[in-house]
Amino acid sequence: MSPNDLSLSAPRRDLRLLFGVALAAAACLAPLFLGTYALHAIIIALIFLLPAHGLNLLVGYTGLLSLAQAAFFGIGAYTSGLMAVHFGTPFYLNFLAAGLLAGAVALPLGIPALRLRATSFVMCTLGFVVIGQAIAKNWIGLTRGDMGLSGIPKPYFALGPASFTISGTTSFYYMVLVIAVIGTLAAYLIVRSAAGRNMVAIRENETLAESVGIPTWRYKLVVFMISAAFAGLGGSIYAHYLTVVSPLTFQMYYSTTMLIIVLGGGAGTISGVVFGSLLFVGLSEALRVAPEVRMIAYGLSLLALVFWFPKGFAPLIDRFWLFLGERK
Amino acid sequence: MLSAILEQIVNGIVSGSVYAIVAVGMTMIFGVLRAINFAHGEYYMLGTFGAWFAIEYFDLPYPVAIAIGVIATAVIAVVVGKFVMQRIVGAPPETGVLATLGIALVLQNTVILVFGGGYKFFSGGYIEPVSIFGFTLAEQRVLIIIVCILVFVGLELMVTYSRMGKAMRAVSQNIECCAVVGIDVPQVALRTFILGACLAALSGVLTAPVNVSVYGGMGEIITFKTLPVIIMGGLGNVRGTFFAAMILGIAESLVATYVGLQFRDTVGFATLLLVLMWRPHGLFSAQARF
Amino acid sequence: MMHKLDRRAFCFAMGLIGLGAGSIDAWAEDGAIRLGIVAPMSGPNSRYGSYSLRGAQLAAEEINSAGGIGGRKIAITSGDSQGTPVEGVSATRRLIDLDKVDFIIGDVSSSVTLAMQPVAEDAGVLLLNAASSNPKITYAAGVGGFKWTFRNYPTDENRALIVIQYAVEKRGFTKFAVLSVDSDYGRAAVDFTKKYLPGLKGAILTEDYYKEGEVDFRSVLAKIRDSGAQAIIMYGNADTTPIIGRQMIEVGLAGKVPLIGNAEFNTESTIKAAPKALEGAVEAAAWLPAWDAPRSLAFVEKFKAKYRETPNNHAYVHWETVHLLAKAIEAAGSADRAKVRDELSKIKYDSAMGEVTFDDHNQARLPMILLQIENGKPAIKGAYSAEIKYPAK
Repeated sequence: MSPNDLSLSAPRRDLRLLFGVALAAAACLAPLFLGTYALHAIIIALIFLLPAHGLNLLVGYTGLLSLAQAAFFGIGAYTSGLMAVHFGTPFYLNFLAAGLLAGAVALPLGIPALRLRATSFVMCTLGFVVIGQAIAKNWIGLTRGDMGLSGIPKPYFALGPASFTISGTTSFYYMVLVIAVIGTLAAYLIVRSAAGRNMVAIRENETLAESVGIPTWRYKLVVFMISAAFAGLGGSIYAHYLTVVSPLTFQMYYSTTMLIIVLGGGAGTISGVVFGSLLFVGLSEALRVAPEVRMIAYGLSLLALVFWFPKGFAPLIDRFWLFLGERK
Repeated sequence: MLSAILEQIVNGIVSGSVYAIVAVGMTMIFGVLRAINFAHGEYYMLGTFGAWFAIEYFDLPYPVAIAIGVIATAVIAVVVGKFVMQRIVGAPPETGVLATLGIALVLQNTVILVFGGGYKFFSGGYIEPVSIFGFTLAEQRVLIIIVCILVFVGLELMVTYSRMGKAMRAVSQNIECCAVVGIDVPQVALRTFILGACLAALSGVLTAPVNVSVYGGMGEIITFKTLPVIIMGGLGNVRGTFFAAMILGIAESLVATYVGLQFRDTVGFATLLLVLMWRPHGLFSAQARF
Repeated sequence: MMHKLDRRAFCFAMGLIGLGAGSIDAWAEDGAIRLGIVAPMSGPNSRYGSYSLRGAQLAAEEINSAGGIGGRKIAITSGDSQGTPVEGVSATRRLIDLDKVDFIIGDVSSSVTLAMQPVAEDAGVLLLNAASSNPKITYAAGVGGFKWTFRNYPTDENRALIVIQYAVEKRGFTKFAVLSVDSDYGRAAVDFTKKYLPGLKGAILTEDYYKEGEVDFRSVLAKIRDSGAQAIIMYGNADTTPIIGRQMIEVGLAGKVPLIGNAEFNTESTIKAAPKALEGAVEAAAWLPAWDAPRSLAFVEKFKAKYRETPNNHAYVHWETVHLLAKAIEAAGSADRAKVRDELSKIKYDSAMGEVTFDDHNQARLPMILLQIENGKPAIKGAYSAEIKYPAK
């Protein structure tokens, strides 16, 4: 090497595109080499992904810790299930209705809730979940109470002569994959936009953001509603996949699960949430070999998350991405 | 008619006393750590299990079992406090929420792992009914009410006059200044936490004779019940918590009687939501302070 | 704080575990008959799951030590449903795909069972339900759609009818208060009771439901005391009954207003906790430890000897169902799922409660035992069966 050489070695090839293509191929071809159980686990991960994206917008980007996702998840699940059972409507209608209704319900709930400070807000959102379950249990005329809704039909797409029903885990997997990709894309576009930058501004310093002219109140409310809508959409898929919806859907466990996915994957990053979703469900299923220890491990990983991985896996993902992209 | 309502109010005071002892611990912990202790109910459970264990395996009399239950919980609280709770001081709210949720899971499931998931019977305690002003109550319940009053009087005295109490008040007001004045904040945090956990355990041991069933998952319900109480009372407000607990107890009693038992829990969270909407700092504080 | 290297090692290890899970193979010995048990093993409902699993394991042990079925041993794998549908379905899927079970017994919670039905149906795996109460499980089974679901547990419709009939006709009660658990079990049983009550000229004065884990009944018991009700209709959980019993004594109801329904009134420990309150209680149970059949008593002894606890209802039904399955496999001559299913449909099985046959909805025709607590002990008044009236489609 001549003394004038500034580079130490030849520049690395940009492997990011290759990686992306490989990932896409793996996702599309997964059913060929994964069994039904593994596919099922991925479907569950993707069902939780949408509410997690919503929560990410709230926690990661706007800085509002919320435990209410389970409430909107439940509302979405019941909406979708009831429509399918009573009206036999095609899936995309149920799906959209679930999202819209959840988002709509978030409006009257969010207005008083968002005035509260951090800790009170958390308690308030918890209250939504508890009240949601109480309503599901006691409004028997609508929800059949504890008897629950069962026999929710498989997703049906009424496209005239091209109508089809999704049956079987593989078809369901593809459907959920498409929805998950679209949802992730939507979340990505939101955070990349000017609105997304404003949200980060609110998270970092709300007073400062307000002083620069960002209507923080409106932003928080809209993000709360969008987040609820995402949760509702996830609930809709859940209802059609499990075919059973009961007041048990409104449980704090789902809220904490989504929180772990977001905070574990890396709040404030899109790829983190996707990774977190898959990792969490994967870990959950892997620990099935020791059920008693499973919940203890879950608790310990929460503690590990809080103290050792406060940014979740995001830093690791970033490093990996950089590694692929350019010279070290 | 009047005596029926009076009886329900007495019932409300009885359950309110239980809530009060548990809630005051949680609210004090919040005051110092600024964290909602989602694992608080687990200390209630641990106290109960400790006492149950002492009676079941060592055949010890009930008063001794009370002490053992509380001491066992204190020991666990020291460990949890040193390794987890102290680190929450000064951290953002997410930290407290997640960390205490994690602790709750670990404690709950470790107990289930060790003792099995089945429910146990708590034998021991003073369950003979006595008649007071025409209302029959188990002796244990009278004991609970008396202990509740003693606890609150004691706390009031401690917070106002003792060094520890003053330090607690200082930490809950301004942590940075505490360091300046020479208060060992982590130590105060640890001690407050242990005190809170022990109070929860005490409540557990005292109610075990009348609640009979002991099982690993019993703490979760307690945590949920206590959250509305501390919000209503004002986070960190000891006196407010007492009144909030009583009000909630009585409200629940009346709803259970005149509306239906299935709506009892809704009272708690409906009240919580209402309070948060209209008086977020609690019913009894102009501003939430110790 | 953790060293950077440790952090990476932790992540790597977690990743490995995740991958490794996908490749764990069932290690049951070759030729073993694989049976999966899905029940809540962790979380607050684990108190039901542990009994169910142990009952099943005891049965498998008995069969295996007698040489197995046609020389093949039964291997049991358990799955944790935590009492929620998502976990239940995941556990079921894992049992089917990874552990390669041919038969599944599960769950205790009805909503989990309902979610498991389509999964078992799609995979062609036999699903035997031994403990759920939601009638929809039966309505949807057999000719109702899910051909692979069988239910070896008496229905609550039967139970409610028998209890209320006895209460009105033999005890002369006409005014009732309801205090049942707020779940599909409690509510459905009361709904069924309400169906038959007008015909029997009875009336419900107050209706209350308690949540799982409730401990404070003083208010509602005082209300019942003042309402003039003659009996309390209680369909509830075993661990709550002693609490209610004790508080009945406190409030002054014990000995005056009996409990009727089903909430393990007959177990020794329950009666011991509040004898005055339980005296005169009327219960319709699928089984009780004191049932005077030699096989049943032997089961109770063996369970006590092995686990140092008295078996409860769930332990029994799971034990019996494993034996039922074994008989069907024997009759079919192989562990082929379709053959075993066909054998089950026409089986005449000699259970400890009497002969068991399945109707066209794959529901077992099982008797309910009516008992009354007299002098601190359950006195059996009779065993009753009834055909189910299925709703028109």
